[in-house]
Amino acid sequence: MTFRLNVENESPNRTIFHLHGRLDAQTFNDFDLAMLDELPRIPEESTLVLDLSELVYISSAGLRSIARIRRTMRAHNGHTLLLNPQPQVRKVFDIVKAVPVNEVFANARELDAYLDLMQRKITGEEPASNL
Amino acid sequence: MAEWTGPQGLAMFFRSIASRLSLWVLAGSVLVLTVADGLLFYRVSEQILEKAHGEATALAHEAGNRIEQRLARVADTAQTLAVVVGARPDSAEVTLRGALARNADLSGLAVAYVPVADNPPVSPFISRQDDDSLSWRDLRKDNNAYWDKNWFLAGLGCSQGCWQRHFYSQSRKREMINYSVPLSTDGHPTGLINADVSLDWLSRILKELGKPTGAYAFVLDESGAFLAHDNPAMVGKRGQASLLQALASQQASRVRLAVAQNPQAHGKPVWVYFVPIEGTHWRFGLVMPESTIYAGVRQAFVQALLLGMFSLLALALVTLGVARRILTPLGMLTSRAEEVARGALAFALPTPRFPDEVGRLTQAFDRMRTELALHIAELTRNAKEQQRLASELDIAHQIQTALLPGEHYLDAHCENFELHALLRPARAVGGDLYSYFMLNERRFCVMVGDVSDKGIPAALFMARTITLAKALAPRARSPQHLLSMLNVELCRNNDSCMFVSLLCGMLDTATGELVMASAGHEPPVLCETDGVRLIELETGAALGLDDEARYPPRTLRLRPGQTLLLYTDGITEATDTDQQFFGTERLIACLERSSSRSASDLAGGLLAEVDRFAEDAGQADDITVLALTWHRDLVDGSALMLDLTIQASMDDVFDTLDRCDTSMRDQDVSPEVRDDVRLVLEELMVNMVQHGHAGGADRKIELHMRLDDAAVSIELHHDGQLFDPLQAPMPPLTGDLANAEEAGGLGIHLVRAMASELSYSHDEHGNHLQLRFLHPARSEPDNDLQAER
Repeated sequence: MTFRLNVENESPNRTIFHLHGRLDAQTFNDFDLAMLDELPRIPEESTLVLDLSELVYISSAGLRSIARIRRTMRAHNGHTLLLNPQPQVRKVFDIVKAVPVNEVFANARELDAYLDLMQRKITGEEPASNL
Repeated sequence: MAEWTGPQGLAMFFRSIASRLSLWVLAGSVLVLTVADGLLFYRVSEQILEKAHGEATALAHEAGNRIEQRLARVADTAQTLAVVVGARPDSAEVTLRGALARNADLSGLAVAYVPVADNPPVSPFISRQDDDSLSWRDLRKDNNAYWDKNWFLAGLGCSQGCWQRHFYSQSRKREMINYSVPLSTDGHPTGLINADVSLDWLSRILKELGKPTGAYAFVLDESGAFLAHDNPAMVGKRGQASLLQALASQQASRVRLAVAQNPQAHGKPVWVYFVPIEGTHWRFGLVMPESTIYAGVRQAFVQALLLGMFSLLALALVTLGVARRILTPLGMLTSRAEEVARGALAFALPTPRFPDEVGRLTQAFDRMRTELALHIAELTRNAKEQQRLASELDIAHQIQTALLPGEHYLDAHCENFELHALLRPARAVGGDLYSYFMLNERRFCVMVGDVSDKGIPAALFMARTITLAKALAPRARSPQHLLSMLNVELCRNNDSCMFVSLLCGMLDTATGELVMASAGHEPPVLCETDGVRLIELETGAALGLDDEARYPPRTLRLRPGQTLLLYTDGITEATDTDQQFFGTERLIACLERSSSRSASDLAGGLLAEVDRFAEDAGQADDITVLALTWHRDLVDGSALMLDLTIQASMDDVFDTLDRCDTSMRDQDVSPEVRDDVRLVLEELMVNMVQHGHAGGADRKIELHMRLDDAAVSIELHHDGQLFDPLQAPMPPLTGDLANAEEAGGLGIHLVRAMASELSYSHDEHGNHLQLRFLHPARSEPDNDLQAER
C-alpha cells in the first residue's frame, strides 16, 4: 500500500488534497514533489484542506511534509486544515502535538461550519442559516 | 613431728618429701648396717669358733690327762700289789689294807686265786665302806664261785693288767669298775689282783674339772655307753649314732652335733671334743653348746647394732629437720601454684635464702607468674578481638545472604519456569554467588559464580560482582555482553588479581530460549527425562583478569520438563577422606538416579549426595547449586516471527517493514499494534539508515521479532554509529510543528511514546535496542479481517 494524492479544487479559495495510503519516509518525497507542483497553484489567502480519511499511516517524515505545507500556506496567508484523521494517524498527531486542535476536524460538516464561521469573521456578515 | 597424729596425719607425713627422705635414709642405712654387721659377725664367728675349738681341745686334753693320772695310780697300785702279793701271798690282807689306806680313789681290793691245791685257801677281798671303814671277806665263801666268772677269766687273760667292764656290785649297791692284774707262778696264772673303783668316783672327777659355763663332760667306754656323765641320768646309755660314728673314725678330735643327746642342752647344737684315755679303751668327751661359744660375740654385736640403730635414728631426725627446712619454700610454692590454677596471680612468694635449686625454682616461679599474667591479659585481649571478629563475620554473613535473592522462584506471571537455588558457604562468608532477576517483562537473567579464594576477600569481591551485575544487566542485550561489561568493571583497580568465574544465562521467558555465556565457569548440566548431559560451552577468561576477554554465547532451547543445573566447583571438587574428588561423573550419576526432575529435588538431592560423599572430610569450599526447570510447552513456530539481517538502506528497510506487517498480520496481531510497531521500526531504521552509517556504506541492521501472549518483542541491532534514542533530547513541542523551522527528534519522540518498553545498549558491535509492544487481547482472525477492511 503506497501513497497516493488526489487534488480537488472545490472552489477558488478552497483546495482539498485527498491523501491515500501511507505517508512515510519512503513516500513523503513524492508527496513533497507533488506539493511543489500543487501549492503554487493555490491562490493567496485560500484554505487548504488535507483530507486524511484514507491516510492509514503517517510517520515523522510525513509529519514534517505536512508541517512544511502548513508553513508554505501560512506564508501565503492561507490556512491548512486537517480533515478526518484515522485513529492511528490521529494518535501520531496527538503525540507530537503536530497541529493546533482547532485545525483538525472529525468530518466535513465540522469543517464547513468552521470555514463558514471564518468566512463571516472576514466579511463581517451575519451567520448564514445554511451554506 | 608432733603434729603428725592419726591416720590422716600419717598419710600427710608420708606425702612429705622430707619425711620420706629421712625414712628412706633410715631404712637404707639400717639395712646396710644390719648386713654389714651380719657379715662381720659371720667372719668373726668363724675365728671365734676356731679359738673355741683350740681352747676346748686343750681343756679336754687336760681333763683326759688328769683322769689318766688317777686311773694310772689305781693301775700302778694293782701292779705293785701283784708283785708284792705274788711274793708273799700270806700277807696279802695286810698289804691290801695298806694300799686301800694310801689310795683314797680305791673302793676295794681283792686277791682271787685260782682254786688249785697249791694256792692259798682264802681269796681276801677288802672293800671300803660308806663310813670309810674297811670290811674283809673271803671270796671263796661267796655263794657264786668267782672262778667261773667272766671278769676273773678275763683278768687272768690280760697279763699286763687291764680294766674290766663295769659291773653292778650287789654288796656295795653301786656301779663299779675294776682293774685286774694276774698273779703268776712259773708263767702260769695262779690268781689275780683286782682293784675296784666306783663310777661315782669317775663322775666326781668329771665334776671337778674346770669347765666353762654350760659345758659338760662324759666318759664313754669301749662299747659306746656312757661310763660317766655330768648328767647322771645319761650314765649307762649308749651314745648317739653320730657321736659314735665320729669316734670310730679315729681321726676327728671333735664333732658338731646338731641336736645334743643330753636333755640339759635343750636340743641345741653342741660341739663335742674328745680324747682317748691312755691305758683304757675309754674316751673322754667335753661338750660345749654352740650358743656358749658365740654368746659373747653375739652380745657384743647386738650392742653394736643397737648403738648403730640409735645413731641412725638420730641421723634420720636430723635429715628430716634439714630437709623440711630446705623444702619449706616448696610447700609454699605448691599452694601458690594451686592459686595460679585458680587464676589468682597476686601473691607473695618466699624470699629465696640461697641460690640453690629451690631458690632458682622460686625465682622461676615468680617469673612464670609475671609472664603468665601478661599472657593471660593478651589472651583475654585476643579472645575479645576474636569475639568482635566473629560478631562482625556474623553480620557480614547476614549482609551477604541479603545480597542473594530467595532460594525459590516461580515465574508467577506465566508459570513458564521455576528456579531453585542453594548456596552454602564453607565459612561464615564465601565467594560463591547466584543471582536472578527479570530484565524486563520477558527476559530473565540468571547467573552463578565463584570468586577465587575464600573468606572475607572473596565475600567482598562477590558483593562487588553481584552488585555490578545487577546494575549492568539492564543495559546488556546478551549474557556475553553482560559478562564483557562486568569484566571491564571488575578489571578496574583489581590489584589483588581476584577473579570470578561466572556463568550467565538470559532466558526468554516466553519461548524458553536460553542464551548462555561462561567466564571460566563449570559447564552446566541439562537434566531431561531420558538422561543427563553436560552442556559443553566455550568459555572466556574468568572475570577480572583480562579486560579484553570475549565470551562466546551458546543458545539453548529449553524443552518442557528439562532442568538446567548450574553449580560451582564446590560440588565437583568436594573431597572425601581419601582425597578423591566428587567429580563430574558422580554429579551426572547422582542426577540420573534422581527420581524427580523438579528443580528443588535435583538441587537438594545433589547437595545431600555431596554431603554424604564428603561427610567425614568436611566442606572445604563454598557450594552453590541452581536448578532452572522449564515447564511451558509452547506451540512451535508461534513465537518466533522474524529473524532478519538487512542492508541499512531505505529499500531494505521498507521491505522489512512490510514483512513485519505481514508476519504480524499472520499472527493475528491487532492493526493498532501493527501500526505502532511499523511506525517505531520505521523511525528507528530510517534513523539508522540516514544518520547512523558513520561514513560506511555496508552497515547492517539485524531484526528479531517474537510474539507471545502479551506482547511483540523486537530486537534491533545496528552496527553503525552509536546512538541512544533514550538519551535524545525531547523535541520542542509547541503545539504546532509548522512553528519550528525544521522539526527534529520527532521520530524518536514517537518511538519512545509508542513502544511499551524500550531498552538500549551498545557495545563494540554497535547499537542494540529491545522493544516490546503489549497487545493484551490478541484479536481473532474474524476481527482482523474486519479491521483490514
